[in-house]
Amino acid sequence: MNVERLNDLSIEALYALAEKMGLDLPPALERIFVVEALIEAFQEDSDERKSSGDMAIHIEEKKFSGSELDEIDASLDAAPCIARRYNETVVHWIPRDPEWAFAFWDVKDEELDEFEREGSYGGLFLRVVRSAGGDDKAAVSFEVPVNDDDDHWYLHLPEQDRYYRLDLCVRIAGKAKAIAHSNVIRTPRAILADSFDELEPEAEALAELSGLSKLRIQAPPERHPSRILGGYDD
Amino acid sequence: METGSIALVLNAHLPFVRQPDYPRFLEERWLFESLSETYLPLLRLFAKLEAERVPWRLTMALSPTLASMLGDALLRDRYTAWLKDQLELADKELARTAGDPVFHPLAQAYRDLYQQNYDDFTVLHGGSILPAFDFYYKKGRLELMTSAATQAFLPIYRQYPEAVTSQIEASVVSFRSDFGRPPSGFWTPQLGWYPGLEELLSAYGLQYSVVATRGAMLGKPTPRHGSYAPVSCPNGFTNFIRDVAATEAVWSETEGYPADPAYRDFYRDIGFDLPLDYVGPYVEQGQIRTFTGFKYWAISGRSQEKLPYDPDLAAAKAVEHAENFLYTRARQARKAAAHMERPPLMVAPYDAELFGHWWHEGIQWLEALFRKAQGTSELRFVTLGEYHKQYPENFESVPEFASWGDGGYAGVWLEKSNDWLYRHTFKLIEYMTELAERFPNESGLRERVLNQAAREVLLSQAADWPFLLRSGKSGSFARKQIEDAVTNFNRIYEMLCANTVGTEWLTRLEKRNNVFPAINYRIFRRKR
Repeated sequence: MNVERLNDLSIEALYALAEKMGLDLPPALERIFVVEALIEAFQEDSDERKSSGDMAIHIEEKKFSGSELDEIDASLDAAPCIARRYNETVVHWIPRDPEWAFAFWDVKDEELDEFEREGSYGGLFLRVVRSAGGDDKAAVSFEVPVNDDDDHWYLHLPEQDRYYRLDLCVRIAGKAKAIAHSNVIRTPRAILADSFDELEPEAEALAELSGLSKLRIQAPPERHPSRILGGYDD
Repeated sequence: METGSIALVLNAHLPFVRQPDYPRFLEERWLFESLSETYLPLLRLFAKLEAERVPWRLTMALSPTLASMLGDALLRDRYTAWLKDQLELADKELARTAGDPVFHPLAQAYRDLYQQNYDDFTVLHGGSILPAFDFYYKKGRLELMTSAATQAFLPIYRQYPEAVTSQIEASVVSFRSDFGRPPSGFWTPQLGWYPGLEELLSAYGLQYSVVATRGAMLGKPTPRHGSYAPVSCPNGFTNFIRDVAATEAVWSETEGYPADPAYRDFYRDIGFDLPLDYVGPYVEQGQIRTFTGFKYWAISGRSQEKLPYDPDLAAAKAVEHAENFLYTRARQARKAAAHMERPPLMVAPYDAELFGHWWHEGIQWLEALFRKAQGTSELRFVTLGEYHKQYPENFESVPEFASWGDGGYAGVWLEKSNDWLYRHTFKLIEYMTELAERFPNESGLRERVLNQAAREVLLSQAADWPFLLRSGKSGSFARKQIEDAVTNFNRIYEMLCANTVGTEWLTRLEKRNNVFPAINYRIFRRKR
């Protein structure tokens, strides 16, 4: 970012930035003065930055380092200057880790208008469907109500190493109707695929030497045939 | 026979930051700084080791966007001009510090560095360093790998095989054009892996990659040798596994070698320390303070005042740390070897730009590693390709989805600061696939338009943008890169739908975003 790119911002975005930086600017100021005030404010912040010394940021970021405008960037959360949506009925989701997935969706304006016109529109909800495998044979599902103006959520998924699908649904006259289906995702495993009793002793030792504890990776519970057989003792 | 092997893997990557519309552009400095402090010093190290017959082996992933910028004429000229500015500043620094027994020699060292860089870049390498890397590649000392075209974090795009294969194909084509042969190794950006990726990589003749320890250990079945030997997927694609201990010795920001008090402090820079009227001509637009590269202070202890940088002390520390690295790796190898039927391999992947740029003494550390290792028969440095050739058969296991990012999965590239962008990049992929299907046999102007559309789709997917949005550093720049790619693509899409093409605008865009000149938009066609 440079001054030219500050100049690219709308006057509203510049005022929003000034507010974030604690500047109390008179309304309707010429943009050149707003930019100047921002640069000056930044200079003051920069002095603080230098005195604070240690900035705990990731090493990988160092190759991108270099300017005092980084702090302006950090405080700038102006909305992207592109259309937010594509006016289509769609739902997508992306697995983030073994527990969470990011879902985003949209409903075409005309379609939503039609639902609302019907009078018995009961709102949107997401249905998380746990599939038995990579196919669509649904096993378990649960619902997550969402507002009409929501368009993305992080959803907690109950089990690792499972396949899930997401349906975007509408409730009309008390009945649920799926209006879009997502791709099927799989949550990754968070524990070893094999329990230690299934591994050779050498493999277990090498797994430990590979930093298993540091990575906080655990083995699945050991499978003791005697415990399974124990049920027969009764 | 040695006790163990070490494979050092450097990932050299910068996003496409070429901005011909501006006379100077802040983010282009990323390239200039990396050239000055990492790539050129690395090449000098290679030459020195060769001249002194010190055995060395290194694997480097050169990202297609970086390779494109390293071969670009405009950036070559801009870098040369930037070096001249640095030399001018160095002369001013020599005058400013004249008579100072501590700082004047440091100013002289910077003068020497930039003069050396200028001479090497303009005379020795004739403005392009790619042939120099190729020289060592051909000699077998250095192995070059490719990476995803714009370093997209591939697991996020797994539902679009066309997008992932486009990232792979564009990179393979680019590598062949730069080095005249196909790559064997593929650096998965951020070590982002997911089961199934091996099929797409193998389809392009790629044979191996490096995965995060977490992903490998969670693979199915659990690897027989832990991280001490690669694993192969059922289709034969091999994954080398990052060694946690070897990487953390360097990578840890608080406990790694680069945090030693004797090393040069990265943050204290005259660009921030000296009056603006003095450093003005060498910072952004004369008024935005930036790093200049002139840094005179050591990291120093937490409780003490910053001490002046002492290059001799730091150089001795780099040697000491190299010895420590080899000692701890040898000890680690001995422990692992007791459980293995072949010498354990420790794969240490790092960002190349860590060496020299952030960790100023990093190149000296590398040099000391190779020099010290030649005196021992216990450890051997290998390239990934060399090892793969020696041990083509490996335990069969498919790594789990994981990465080397914080948290071990996709959390760095998918969180509240950056998740909005996937709505757009996904849509661009869908539109691009639709265009490639609708216009499979275009030529002339329409083909140019479609090829440019494909470039914009790839540029929008760079993992650097969500990374920067999350870190807050150059976040506006990152946002603008995504917005520009989306806007450019949408304009092309509309032009094609309306059957009108703005030739002048297209030509301007082709000149601006000139990465992947040989791209073929048909890579986005659905795989049948």
